Amino acid sequence: MIMSKDYQLKASINQKLIEMGERERLKELLRAKLVESGWKDQLKAHCKDVVREKGLEHVTVEDLVTEVTPKGRALVPDNVKKELLQRIRAFLAQHTAL
Amino acid sequence: MKMEDMPLSGPDNTKLEALVNDIYSELVEDACLGLCFEVHRAVKQGYFFLDETDQESMKEFEIVDQPGVDIFGQVYNQWKNKECECPNCKRLIAASRFAPHLEKCLGMGRNSSRIANRRLASNNNTSKSESDQEDNDDLNDNDWSYGAEKRAKKRKSDKSQNSPRRSKTLKHKNGELGSSMSADPYKYNYNAGINYEMLGPDEVRSFLTTCGVISEHTKKMCTRSQRCPQHTDEQRMAVRVFLLGPSAPVLPEADSVAGPESFDIPDGQALMSRLQWEDSPEISPSDSASSKASTNHSDSRRPKKKKRPPLGLNSGGGIGSLSGGGGSGGSQTNISLSTKKKKPKLTAPSISSIYDDLN
Repeated sequence: MIMSKDYQLKASINQKLIEMGERERLKELLRAKLVESGWKDQLKAHCKDVVREKGLEHVTVEDLVTEVTPKGRALVPDNVKKELLQRIRAFLAQHTAL
Repeated sequence: MKMEDMPLSGPDNTKLEALVNDIYSELVEDACLGLCFEVHRAVKQGYFFLDETDQESMKEFEIVDQPGVDIFGQVYNQWKNKECECPNCKRLIAASRFAPHLEKCLGMGRNSSRIANRRLASNNNTSKSESDQEDNDDLNDNDWSYGAEKRAKKRKSDKSQNSPRRSKTLKHKNGELGSSMSADPYKYNYNAGINYEMLGPDEVRSFLTTCGVISEHTKKMCTRSQRCPQHTDEQRMAVRVFLLGPSAPVLPEADSVAGPESFDIPDGQALMSRLQWEDSPEISPSDSASSKASTNHSDSRRPKKKKRPPLGLNSGGGIGSLSGGGGSGGSQTNISLSTKKKKPKLTAPSISSIYDDLN
């Protein structure tokens, strides 16, 4: 059960992230790093397999999402993950009185 | 927006960490979703598998990772020492020199046109200086009067190719000719000399210290001294008359002719008078005979003429076609020029011919 306080906190932080444009920046940073590291190509190759498996005509977004997302999450390189966590922490530290 | 104040204590820390991780997860999921949408669209639009071909072709273009070879498998400086055959001149040229060679060979680059222009200019110069040499001048005169104008025509056509400003008539393009020759005609140390078309009356006067005879083929005035061996005094006189009109020739042998264009004067007398002056010494301006009429002049000289039968100047008959008004007069005189000097055999007829041609 989500504690209302936490929920509120999270919501407010999220809002702050968006308002300040930090979320967008973080998103772009992550995308760039993933492409750089070859994560995107890896995952795309996996997608090809899925598509071939499911058939070109009948593949749906849900298919792809369910197949691809867990693998994607797992495939993120450690350094990318660390860097992003660091940035988020920094943001929170800066913008919330914690 | 009201922010909850959270103290940085232990359990909260983990919460914070959890929060951070949550945010991170959301970001990653966004990225994955983005990729899925992209792939799905590519599949549905049909371009997802476009970068793949059959296995054979894939093998053919696989990335090569050997030393000494690039990723396509090509050797780096394989063509450095090769020779190529030029399609124009059929020579074998080294590969690295091929492009500059083609530029010169085909005449299409910037440099090649510059070099060609320079070469043509110097060729024109050298060919014109030939025309002022003794033999060529003679030959040219001969050719002209006898109708074999090949050389003259060729010269003229050469010029007209490069410099469309040239024309047979005097009338047009007065100033342009000079500019292309050299900036300062007075410094022109070139035998063919100045182009008289561009001169005004003042400038012409200054040129009267030079020989000034207009070469038939180059239309230029001779810049040699008044004693230049290529031209006779007669020629010089004719030029002065032509340029300045009957009023102001500087030579002592001033022949006040009726008009510069027509030589329908009493040719015999004029010719004789002129011919006599070939023996005269260096001309001094003080001897200007501008005031004398032609007849007086000729009459006064006539007795002299009789004194000098060995002068042997054959003005008309021996030379051949004496065109225009010179014919009648020429027949009267039997002076052969040939004995006098080598070059100007054809002074009399050539002068008339020059003007006919110019007219």
